[in-house]
Amino acid sequence: MKIAVPRMGNLSLIIKDMVQRFDLDYLETPPFTEQTMEIGAALAPEFACLPLKAVLGTFVGALAMGADTLVTGGGHGPCRFGYYGEIQRRILEREGHDFRMVVLEPPSVSLRAFHDSIRSVIPREQVGFGTLARELYLTLSKVLLLDMLDKRALQLRGLEVVAGSVDEALADAQEIVSRAFTRKELSAARKEGDARFREVEIEWDRPHLKVGLVGEIFVVLETFFNFDIEHWLGRRNVVVERSVTISDTCDPFHRNPVFGYPEHMVARMAKPYLSHEVGGDGLLTVGSSVIFARRGFDAVVHFLPFTCMPEVIAKGVLGRVSQELEMPVLSLSIDEQTGKAGVETRLEALLDLAWSNKAKSLHARAELQAVT
Amino acid sequence: MTRVGLPRALLFHQYGDAWKSFIETLGLEPVVSSTTTGEILTSGTAHTDNESCLPVKVFTGHLLKLKEAADAILVPRVVTQNRGMKSCPKYLGLPDIARAIDHDLPPIFAPVMDLADRRHKWVNDWYEMALRFGASQSAARAAVKAMLASLKSCMAPLAGAATTDAGFNVGVAGHVYNLQDPRVSMGLLDRIRVMGASPLVVEKVPRRLIRRELKTLERKIRWDSESDIVGAVLHWSRSRSVAGVIYLSSFACGPGSMIGALIEDQFGREKSVPLMSITLDEHSGEGGLVTRIEAFLDMLRYASANDPSSAAGGAR
Repeated sequence: MKIAVPRMGNLSLIIKDMVQRFDLDYLETPPFTEQTMEIGAALAPEFACLPLKAVLGTFVGALAMGADTLVTGGGHGPCRFGYYGEIQRRILEREGHDFRMVVLEPPSVSLRAFHDSIRSVIPREQVGFGTLARELYLTLSKVLLLDMLDKRALQLRGLEVVAGSVDEALADAQEIVSRAFTRKELSAARKEGDARFREVEIEWDRPHLKVGLVGEIFVVLETFFNFDIEHWLGRRNVVVERSVTISDTCDPFHRNPVFGYPEHMVARMAKPYLSHEVGGDGLLTVGSSVIFARRGFDAVVHFLPFTCMPEVIAKGVLGRVSQELEMPVLSLSIDEQTGKAGVETRLEALLDLAWSNKAKSLHARAELQAVT
Repeated sequence: MTRVGLPRALLFHQYGDAWKSFIETLGLEPVVSSTTTGEILTSGTAHTDNESCLPVKVFTGHLLKLKEAADAILVPRVVTQNRGMKSCPKYLGLPDIARAIDHDLPPIFAPVMDLADRRHKWVNDWYEMALRFGASQSAARAAVKAMLASLKSCMAPLAGAATTDAGFNVGVAGHVYNLQDPRVSMGLLDRIRVMGASPLVVEKVPRRLIRRELKTLERKIRWDSESDIVGAVLHWSRSRSVAGVIYLSSFACGPGSMIGALIEDQFGREKSVPLMSITLDEHSGEGGLVTRIEAFLDMLRYASANDPSSAAGGAR
């Protein structure tokens, strides 16, 4: 059994961890390229959104390299993602591939569904329930550490003195965390990672912008589709905060440990604009945009795959959020034909707008102080 | 008298009677927007986000039409229609989208309709809305009761036998709000009738049969109307009660894109009856549609004339 899993941000690090824990036979799925996109777009239904096409393309590559078990995520919500595995299986079977498709229900659906679905990859005879639960808990803790490192890097990148020093620290810290497996090792790795970040020289009083990054998890996390926006913003003195992470999505108790605002609070913040769950990350997108606006962020960038159902609703509502809370919001819809230059031009315009807003408010504040 | 607007779009085609009877029982005046016109479609397209699906664009057009004509607008939030199912995200967020479209719209009331859930959990929303309209408690109760009674008849499967003698049967699968709207579907059902075939629609297939067919799928479909469509289509093809199936979807329909791929694949595997997929958008021309239907029906006729066993639906 050779397992292949789609790529998405830190997911490959997490899978590597699980592979070592449970001694699985694993094959690294090829990275997203224009070629895999072309293959995926040719096979997939026309109006399927980007993640299906993108993942399908890399699955074809993985099958060609000898994978025989494809593992993908599921879900029970109104988002189409829950049905992707089934459609991909049908398409790939039609193309004449011989393989097994395993759809993992995320723990946030129900722990039981998650356990049942993971048993088809890690059989009961091989790993008992106690071991499985313990090891998965440790994996989740590791995911949390990795995502926290990411969050930290996003905050610091815009303020670093030596260009690239935050990335070096991030890579080192990720390496340290990846080597940790037991509880003790993980907590030591956490301290070591923190120490590594403290070595980075930061210019705290540099003028900077604060930008929130929201949207559908796949395009927000995967650098090939968002044109590496995190680094792009980091180079332009922007402190970034991201509302979606893998650990928040996997958290079975909906606490959003990395973002820091539990789901019920996000829902409450979103309520004046979107008062019902719409599947996927739709409610989180709206709620976190409101949170960012209340916290005085200078702008929000919203990434969505073209025709993504929950995010299109969020996009429709975000215009109102932006108007009423006076914070620019840029929605960027990504599909296989989106060009880098177009996205970057719009982002540059957004940053210019945010800088001028900031200058205006600083000016107004200075005037107010002069009067009083 | 307060005029309460109801956009003639989306689930109005299914539950409109119930909503109307609610408003009437309260002693208010229901104002239903006219049937879809080109103007409604254009204004809807202009005011909606360009990625929205066609039905939402149509909805927006109707909503804007009611701007002057009504003092309040009723856009119920339909959360589920059948047990264990989920609505399309567009229904869930519809009232919020509506509120974000235009600041000058009359207030939008969005009571929840969660038909699969226990009744006391969602009916209270309607009751409270009635009180906000200024009704007395007893009047509010009566209105809710009238709504629920009328809902029962909305939910019952359409009467009328599925078989016809004239011509041959063609299954037309699609969302109610597309097929019932003569402008959006460009009178598809009537055109098929004129061309000498009798169209069967999803709503006439008994739920029992739909559920039975759905059980044969490897992964459960969790969207309400889409699961009905798949179940009905599989029933038609497996029982050979139709000579062919036309699957009608609209531009950027999310669940529609999934089940479209699913139906195509399943038909390809079973090699049962011919299938034609049509995608509607606001630019669809009548000529193209008519030509495609004609060609499809001609092909079915030709197939049944040459090989009565394979397309037996025509003969029966």
